[in-house]
Amino acid sequence: MKGIFSLILFSILSFTVTAQQDCERIVQDCEALLNKNVKTGEFISDGQVYTAFLDREKAEFKTTLFGGSLYRIAASAGSGDNYVIYTIKDIQGNILYSNKHYKNAPYWDFKVTETLPVTIEVELDPDLKVTGCVVMLIGFKK
Amino acid sequence: MKRTTFTKFLSVAILGTMIVSCGDDSNNENVIDQEVFDPKSSLNTVFDGKIFSIPSPIQIAYLIKDLDITYDGAILNSDQNATKYATEYKQALNLGIYGTDLGYLTLYEQKSLSMNYLNSIEKLSAQLGLDAAFDSSFISRFEENNGNEDSMIYLMSDAFRKADNFLKNANRKSTSALVLTGGWIESMYLACELNKKKDSEDIKKRIAEQKQSLASIIDLLTEYNKGGSNDSLIEQLRGLQESFDKISMNYEYEAPETHEDTKTTTFHHKLTVEFTKEVMTEITDKLSTMRNSIIKL
Repeated sequence: MKGIFSLILFSILSFTVTAQQDCERIVQDCEALLNKNVKTGEFISDGQVYTAFLDREKAEFKTTLFGGSLYRIAASAGSGDNYVIYTIKDIQGNILYSNKHYKNAPYWDFKVTETLPVTIEVELDPDLKVTGCVVMLIGFKK
Repeated sequence: MKRTTFTKFLSVAILGTMIVSCGDDSNNENVIDQEVFDPKSSLNTVFDGKIFSIPSPIQIAYLIKDLDITYDGAILNSDQNATKYATEYKQALNLGIYGTDLGYLTLYEQKSLSMNYLNSIEKLSAQLGLDAAFDSSFISRFEENNGNEDSMIYLMSDAFRKADNFLKNANRKSTSALVLTGGWIESMYLACELNKKKDSEDIKKRIAEQKQSLASIIDLLTEYNKGGSNDSLIEQLRGLQESFDKISMNYEYEAPETHEDTKTTTFHHKLTVEFTKEVMTEITDKLSTMRNSIIKL
């Protein structure tokens, strides 16, 4: 029995380590998106890496987009396809943007004139990927 | 902020395995590392599905610079203190503080002082085992770009993002939370202190707009409150939140405008923020007490 236990624990640990390595690769993919096709001035990272392992469900978080800035939100769950759907909602629950209307675009820019507290919901597109690591990065320009 | 099924799956799988194991061989003690059961352990930490977002302190520094407020180096934490913080708790909070101070110095083109603060960050980050983020390549690139404010801010923000990623991957989310908190508190402290010197509606509005960010910081510190080490800080932040609760925010929705060709959306909502002079004084005083207790040796 001890052997079975060790095998299962080993499998779980192996899965976790592999998933963590996958996540790390996705962080690199996402970093490239943060300044992809930028013509003037780079987006400055907000200093955080937003990571979640999703399995047919959504992760969400609250953030504030400050007035007078141009933001870029980049999302990735692996190179080669647009796996991630993200939706930005205001404090009243109105949908302000969802990349699912734009072929799950992996990055998008947002002009913010007045400060805006928002909730960002993140999920995998179930038609493309069911389970996996999702990484988001937020950058801004003055 | 939902917890994903991965954590549940892992817990059930391990628990199930333990039950089977113990039932069959009750005399055999299978000692399992507590880490396996800890939902915030390295096994789960990257994948716990809880995400918190804290605004970049650089954004307040940019606003301060844009308002032509005179540079004041006296309000920063002395770079001489960097090596004197003995605990990881203090080191992490003060790394965030020095990061914000470096951003402020960079935007005010204080070249020589910037290098001193960079040196402080290098020492503190080494003590925290963050050499990978603030490595020699980063230091030399920062030095090479001294005088080019955009490049310096970019490099610094990038290094702090790498540090955040490293800490989260290394089961040190509580340390990551403290670095972010220190950075946020210092940016708010600088804004309040500079506003005392030159009253500015723009700065006061930006301070007031941090209501949601403060709530996120409290949630973050509560989630990663290792052994109750954040209790006192959380209590102080809750006191600050009582003052922020007196601020009224009125939001008016208006449909955004999206251009697919340029991949850009422009928001057209309205947000008005109302607060009294007394509330701003309360916030300034509470932030000053909190920040000064963090930098105290």
